[in-house]
Amino acid sequence: MNIVVLVKQVPDTETKIKIGADGKSIETSEIKWVMNPYDEYAVEAALRLQDSVGASVTILSMGPERTVESIRTALAMGADTGVLVDDPATEGSDGLGKAKVLAAALKSLEFDLVFCGHRAVDSDENQVGIMVAELAGIPHLGLAVSAEVTDGKVKVQRPIEGAKVTMEAILPALVTFGGAHAVWNPRYASLPGIMKAKKKPLETKTLADLGLSADEVGAQAAKVSVTAMEMPQERQPGRKLEGDTVEKAKELTRLLHEEAKVI
Amino acid sequence: MANLLVDERDVKFVLYEQLDIEQLSNTAKYAEYSKEMYDLVLEQAWKLAENEMAPANRKGDEQGCVWEDGKVRVPESYHRPYEMYKQGGWLSMAEAAEVGGQGFPVVMGLATIEAFGAANLSLFLYPGLTHGAARLLEVYGTKEQQRTFMDKLYTGEWSGTMCLTEPQAGSDVGALRTKAILNDDGTYSISGTKIFISCGEHDLTENIVHMVLARIEGAPAGTKGISLFIIPKLRPENGELVDNDVVCPGIEHKLGIHGSATSTLNFGENNNCIGYLLGEANQGMRIMFQMMNESRLFVGMQGQSHASTAYLYALQYSKERTQGSDASRIKDPTAPRVAIINHPDVRRMLMFMKSVSEGLRALLYYVGFCDDLVRSAENDQEREKYQDFIDILIPVCKAYGSDMGFRVCETAIQVLGGYGYCQEHPVEQFLRDCKIASIYEGANGIQALDLVGRKLVIKRGQLFKRLIAETEEFLRWARRNFELRELVAIFEAARQQLIEVTKYFGLKGMTEDYPETLLYATPYLELFGDIAVGFMLLWQALIAQRRLQEIYVDAGAKDAQAQREVLVSNRSAAFYRGKVASAEFFITNILSLAKGKAKAIMSGQRAAVEIPEEAFTLT
Ligand SMILES: Cc1cc2nc3c(=O)[nH]c(=O)nc-3n(C[C@H](O)[C@H](O)[C@H](O)COP(=O)(O)OP(=O)(O)OC[C@H]3O[C@@H](n4cnc5c(N)ncnc54)[C@H](O)[C@@H]3O)c2cc1C
Repeated sequence: MNIVVLVKQVPDTETKIKIGADGKSIETSEIKWVMNPYDEYAVEAALRLQDSVGASVTILSMGPERTVESIRTALAMGADTGVLVDDPATEGSDGLGKAKVLAAALKSLEFDLVFCGHRAVDSDENQVGIMVAELAGIPHLGLAVSAEVTDGKVKVQRPIEGAKVTMEAILPALVTFGGAHAVWNPRYASLPGIMKAKKKPLETKTLADLGLSADEVGAQAAKVSVTAMEMPQERQPGRKLEGDTVEKAKELTRLLHEEAKVI
Repeated sequence: MANLLVDERDVKFVLYEQLDIEQLSNTAKYAEYSKEMYDLVLEQAWKLAENEMAPANRKGDEQGCVWEDGKVRVPESYHRPYEMYKQGGWLSMAEAAEVGGQGFPVVMGLATIEAFGAANLSLFLYPGLTHGAARLLEVYGTKEQQRTFMDKLYTGEWSGTMCLTEPQAGSDVGALRTKAILNDDGTYSISGTKIFISCGEHDLTENIVHMVLARIEGAPAGTKGISLFIIPKLRPENGELVDNDVVCPGIEHKLGIHGSATSTLNFGENNNCIGYLLGEANQGMRIMFQMMNESRLFVGMQGQSHASTAYLYALQYSKERTQGSDASRIKDPTAPRVAIINHPDVRRMLMFMKSVSEGLRALLYYVGFCDDLVRSAENDQEREKYQDFIDILIPVCKAYGSDMGFRVCETAIQVLGGYGYCQEHPVEQFLRDCKIASIYEGANGIQALDLVGRKLVIKRGQLFKRLIAETEEFLRWARRNFELRELVAIFEAARQQLIEVTKYFGLKGMTEDYPETLLYATPYLELFGDIAVGFMLLWQALIAQRRLQEIYVDAGAKDAQAQREVLVSNRSAAFYRGKVASAEFFITNILSLAKGKAKAIMSGQRAAVEIPEEAFTLT
């Protein structure tokens, strides 16, 4: 069984973000890049299937050269091969453009399952996975916190308010993963894993290799664009109310009413 | 919250920009390693340190180790991170593939150790000691001993200890009494008591392999009659592990490292403790000495680990805590309150911490890197040169690293004020945990004696001369830098002072004034440390200043105003500016004192040894 995991490299959420000079993108020099956490859960889910049913795991990414770091990390965690689509013409692509690139790249790979995070923590669009499923013409199961494969089907669980639903789909299928670090506890890459990773195959492709052209997927084709970015307002320091309980309650009510305007 | 364990940017600066460890890839030994792999290793180490080890640190401190009926339980929170560490293969990271290691450069190992020690020193001591025990077996063990013990140590399945200390044998290891009697089958029956044994008894691993110094019956007194034994807690016998009569009657209650079980161990209470000789009889001290460079470097790194995290914590705090107004409006009660990082005296403390932790990091990594150069050297001359550097710098790394690490922790508490003194913040724990580094592995006073009494003397002073020659070569390059010429001048003057004092010691050592060098050994080591760290910072500043100029040129920033703007918007520029500032601060404020320190050392003033003991009155 073959699983392809779609992995995006994103700025570490702990990195201090600065808005770039154009006012609609972030300053990317010297920020720390990491694998999108939800994609990391997808990698973990795939590696568990590698452990249990012997699936072979391919990592598929698109992005500039530095994206190799995230692919290598996944290879060091245990994935088998990697493919990177690195083409400057994809710069400025929107979710659909990216989905087209990934779907085209999928065509050249054998797969029974495609795994990815339900969203990337950089632009939080929640789109690419679903669009890839649509373009590839395969079913999609969303926000999974587990994945099992039996009898040509994938079965996943998704938490809903106060409960869990179990869903299944016939292979090939695409699953997007949700949950949190504590749910998945994605494995660390071990040192032997890192040593092995450097010998694992990692192929780089351009749009031309995929039979795509820039005007189908690049900035010109984008139907969605970012028009502006702004930093959230700096948080005001906390305030301590003085007086006895009754006075404090009164003052609190007044502030909630007059300043915060929430009651 | 950002990583508050190590300054990741600075770690990479030292590795790639200062030491240029990528050059190791040109050697046969390290040909298959690359920056890409190093980055991956660092990323994983930092994640492990931050996500698994650090969260167990406070709880481990509060809970401590619990002794009950001869068994010790480590803090519960330790089991999971230890398991993760073990599974990651970190214990044998810099070991050769033949012993199951990953063969990474020593300097890379040190870089990960810095973060692990910063995250949770008490926990990290368990694998740290295991590593030392495994190394002994690797170098001196028989094949059989290696298969039986070493393999399981390098994977972390079992753990190890170093057992030197006895009640009457602390710094004076030669006074030890633990006894070994030869059995017919070539093994030894051991009896005796060791104290203060780190990780001597615990439940992290099924078995513990103690490396024990003992005296074979009839062997000479003193250090010449000491042998080294492998004494497992459970000994393998007919494919089973049986009790080897090693009993832990108690553990210490102590200032810091509460999660590390400081154990008393009784060997052979029931005449059933078997030890296996490691190496040759009566060679125990020599063998231990060979391993000391590594362990002393690690202990120096413990000081640095704490310095690193204490500084980052205090730095973050200083940006958040508001108190007082800007100095220019001090009399105006309506002036806005500012974060304490704006106060010059707080800046002074931050700069002290920043410059010391950066300089120490560079010094310790440099010594680790020298080890890589020794290991990958193509000829004996080169090998000897770097080995000489290591040998002379080790006591400085150990003692100066631990002492300055402690001072940085103390300064971090000062930055936090009353909050720093309280348990709500971790800096008080850093201070407590850090202190032990100046005591064990040869108390710092003993390090100073090693430096002055041994390292300056052996090979007719060649070690020191070589180091000075190396700095001379560096200075030829440094003197060409116009911008930093004042720093270079202060450094040169301080270096000259060190040379003078060393010559003076050389003369004294040959006369009956010898005790004077003992009296001034510690101040000498401190002076040596100042200059070593100053050297590292100057080296870094020269690189950083060049990079900074390049950034200014690229940005077209010609005047001060434009350059300030670059510093605000460009992280690299800010980092390099900070590096130059570290050198400016340390060299001006600390190396300027070299003259006074040297004068004191060479004063010949002997009040401390000449006053009669009675004058130290105890009433
Ligand atoms: C938490 C902890 C963990 C430890 N772990 C281990 C371990 O794993 N294995 C192990 O074997 N030991 C261990 N030790 C013991 C440690 O190595 C000793 O405490 C240390 O070597 C000092 O010995 P001592 O305590 O007897 O002090 P002493 O030797 O009594 O020294 C007291 C002071 O006198 C000075 N002094 C002593 N002799 C001289 C001299 N000749 N010249 C000048 N100054 C001198 C010392 O520098 C020191 O300042 C540990 C200790 C502690 C507290």
